[in-house]
Amino acid sequence: MSEEQDWKKYLCRACGLIYDEKLGDPDSGLAPGTRFEDIPDDWECPLCGVTKEDFELLAAEPMPACQGGVQVNSLESIVVIGAGIAGWSVVDELKKADPNLPVTLISACSADLYHKPELSIALSKQKSRDQLVQESGVSKAERLGVQLLNHTFVVSIDVERRCLRTTRGEMSYRYLIIAQGAKASVPSHIPKAFAWRVNHLDSWSALQSKLQQSSQRVAILGSGMIGCELAEDLMKAGHEVTLISRDALPLCSLLPDDAAQRYLARLQGVNISFLGLQEIISVEETHSQKKKILLSSLGEIEVDHLIVATGLETDGRLASQAGIDFDQGIRVDPNTLKTSNEYIYALGDCISLNGHPCRFIEPIIKQASVIAKQITGLTKSGYAHTPPVIRLKSKVLPIELHGTPLANNDWKTLYSSDDCLVLEQYQEGELSSRLNVGVIPSAFKQVLINRGTQL
Amino acid sequence: MNGLARVVSTHQAFDPNKVVGEVAHVSQTCLSPIATQVDTKGYYPLDVMSKLGEVGAFSAHLNRYGQRFDIALQSMHEISRSCGTTGFLTWCQDVCGLYIEQSGNPALMARLEGHAEAVTFGGTALSNPMKSLSEIERFLLKAKKVKGGYEVSGTLPWVSHIQQGQYCGAMASVEAADGSMSHEIIFLLDITPEVELKACPIFSGMEGSSTWSIRLDKYFVSEDLMIADPARPFIAKIKGAFILLQAGIATGITQASIDSMRAADVSLGHVNQFLHDRPDAIQAELDALAQKVMLLAKTPYETDPDFILSVLDARAAGAELSLKASQSALLHQGAKGYLMTSGAQRLIREAHFVAIVTPAIKHLRWEMNRLMKEEMPA
Repeated sequence: MSEEQDWKKYLCRACGLIYDEKLGDPDSGLAPGTRFEDIPDDWECPLCGVTKEDFELLAAEPMPACQGGVQVNSLESIVVIGAGIAGWSVVDELKKADPNLPVTLISACSADLYHKPELSIALSKQKSRDQLVQESGVSKAERLGVQLLNHTFVVSIDVERRCLRTTRGEMSYRYLIIAQGAKASVPSHIPKAFAWRVNHLDSWSALQSKLQQSSQRVAILGSGMIGCELAEDLMKAGHEVTLISRDALPLCSLLPDDAAQRYLARLQGVNISFLGLQEIISVEETHSQKKKILLSSLGEIEVDHLIVATGLETDGRLASQAGIDFDQGIRVDPNTLKTSNEYIYALGDCISLNGHPCRFIEPIIKQASVIAKQITGLTKSGYAHTPPVIRLKSKVLPIELHGTPLANNDWKTLYSSDDCLVLEQYQEGELSSRLNVGVIPSAFKQVLINRGTQL
Repeated sequence: MNGLARVVSTHQAFDPNKVVGEVAHVSQTCLSPIATQVDTKGYYPLDVMSKLGEVGAFSAHLNRYGQRFDIALQSMHEISRSCGTTGFLTWCQDVCGLYIEQSGNPALMARLEGHAEAVTFGGTALSNPMKSLSEIERFLLKAKKVKGGYEVSGTLPWVSHIQQGQYCGAMASVEAADGSMSHEIIFLLDITPEVELKACPIFSGMEGSSTWSIRLDKYFVSEDLMIADPARPFIAKIKGAFILLQAGIATGITQASIDSMRAADVSLGHVNQFLHDRPDAIQAELDALAQKVMLLAKTPYETDPDFILSVLDARAAGAELSLKASQSALLHQGAKGYLMTSGAQRLIREAHFVAIVTPAIKHLRWEMNRLMKEEMPA
């Protein structure tokens, strides 16, 4: 065994970033070859800012080389729809389980690999599309021996004949895995031609090319996590940002009011203008391609660009047309991730578990592994969903949520200072959720550890 | 005016439930015997078209006759089952009727019944415009605004179901004074002597479709001939119906292929059992497709992108299925199917026509790809 194979990889549970001991993290001073246990406790995930304790060991199974080459389409093939993190993860897991398994990956885009959570912080880091791409889809497909159909849309699924109709013809499948993701929803009265959505590398890249020319005025509709992260990123990149929200406070579906107030104050502190309790009535384009936005009570504002970040939704077309159960997403068995059709699985942003979508990165690799095991029949281990750590990629006020808070439950204040707020929720006497707002002083961190309230 | 007298009587006697049976009867008795002649010898079967019109083959889909797209499609299916070329002529006649009716232009509406009941005939020159609107090619006809209408010039290469005295729907791009293109118009083009019709090169089949190249030189389009100005909203409205109706040609040719396989099986079943794409499998696929098409036919003027996508998909599925079915028919027939005069050979040519006629399989996929892309700011 060569020394190289001893290097371990650790997965950030919040954002899915992988810390590779071999590569280290030179940007934050960790030289290549820094062992995970040697990383200082105050080190933060370079992407989302959580600390070491929210990393977990990534099972170090090397990717076996393919022996089968590109497979022809046949009933033996496992077909995966979607080449985002979910699609590629399940391909990885299938090939790990059986390198000779014929796998076909269908992607509407180029299928290039990138880490989607990076998109909301990449502008201020002056990243280019090329820098965000970790590997081209074509190269990865070749390496794994996967048949890749990129720039291809799946139009319909014929469940009786187990075949897909695509914009490049028909294709049979033995098992189908849907990883189609979710689309950014745009209110129907806002023309899509006027509304950027940052939910894909291609749209990010198109927006980035517009923004890199000069400092511009950008309005963001929606003050959830994506809207807020983008607002901070754009501000840091030198743009004038207006955050429009139908709520009175930002992040209000995530945070109790006092925490949201603190976050708002910090946003305003860096000159991000927050327009709360506003609906967009209409958007028009001026002769000089500016966007004139009419707000419900504040009148008109004019900006160079409008970004819509009002949430994600799964396109139900494929599922409904194939007769697969759909409820806020493609319904899957929470244990097996099988849809209501025996030969179709689904994972990632497009699914719903008991009627709830879970659109975070962290659960995806586990879901991919469960599906691969189900299909290859290696082991029948099931999926057990655990709520991921939610971490706002914020520089003005880091926010971290553990567990699953209930909207109506009271938060108990554990610690409060000008810079930091720690709240907890209990359900039936048990600690169910903890919210950290701001940087926790190291002295209090120790208190938390002593309390044994790590979720 | 015998023709008009006939129009009135058939209109009153129109019974949607009887149409398909009568169309099937006319097709089997009058069309099947001449199918090869139509396909290879260029026989343009207007005589049979008249008989089909009398029993209601070209009117069921029109609002005036009850908007029964299902019956129009089933009629086209039965006609195509006997002769693919006549199935295609049926589609031409059907969509031309649809242009006339949807125009709402009183001068054109006055011509609707004669058209719907095949007293007069007309086709559709919308292959190039449909491709232009999908950004596949450029408009070939150019219009200039003149007093009382437009003057249209240009050449359209292949327009079917026309001859002197007939007519077709046509579309032209309107040129403004500064040479820029302002919008498009769609109009009924009467094939008068001033319209030059040029013979097309020999096609591999479907020779009886009366397909010509049209040359226009300052052809005057009066308001009486206007279907829609501007054309785009009109095209958006009829697009689903226009494409969906073609599915009837595909299902008919597929059914004829299955008929051919079953006929071959009577003597060759012991060896044909080793072939793939057997008649039962193709029939199951066809039935599933027909079911989808019938569902779409309930709302033919829907413009929602999801609906249009389903129509494009069904049309593509029909073309692909007829290719597969006709090839299998030839294999089932064996050596006999390789004779130039074999019905299976004709089915192959007809199926390939369905695959390449606008919108061809590749256009359908291009258009589905276009529709499925998320729209972003430019």
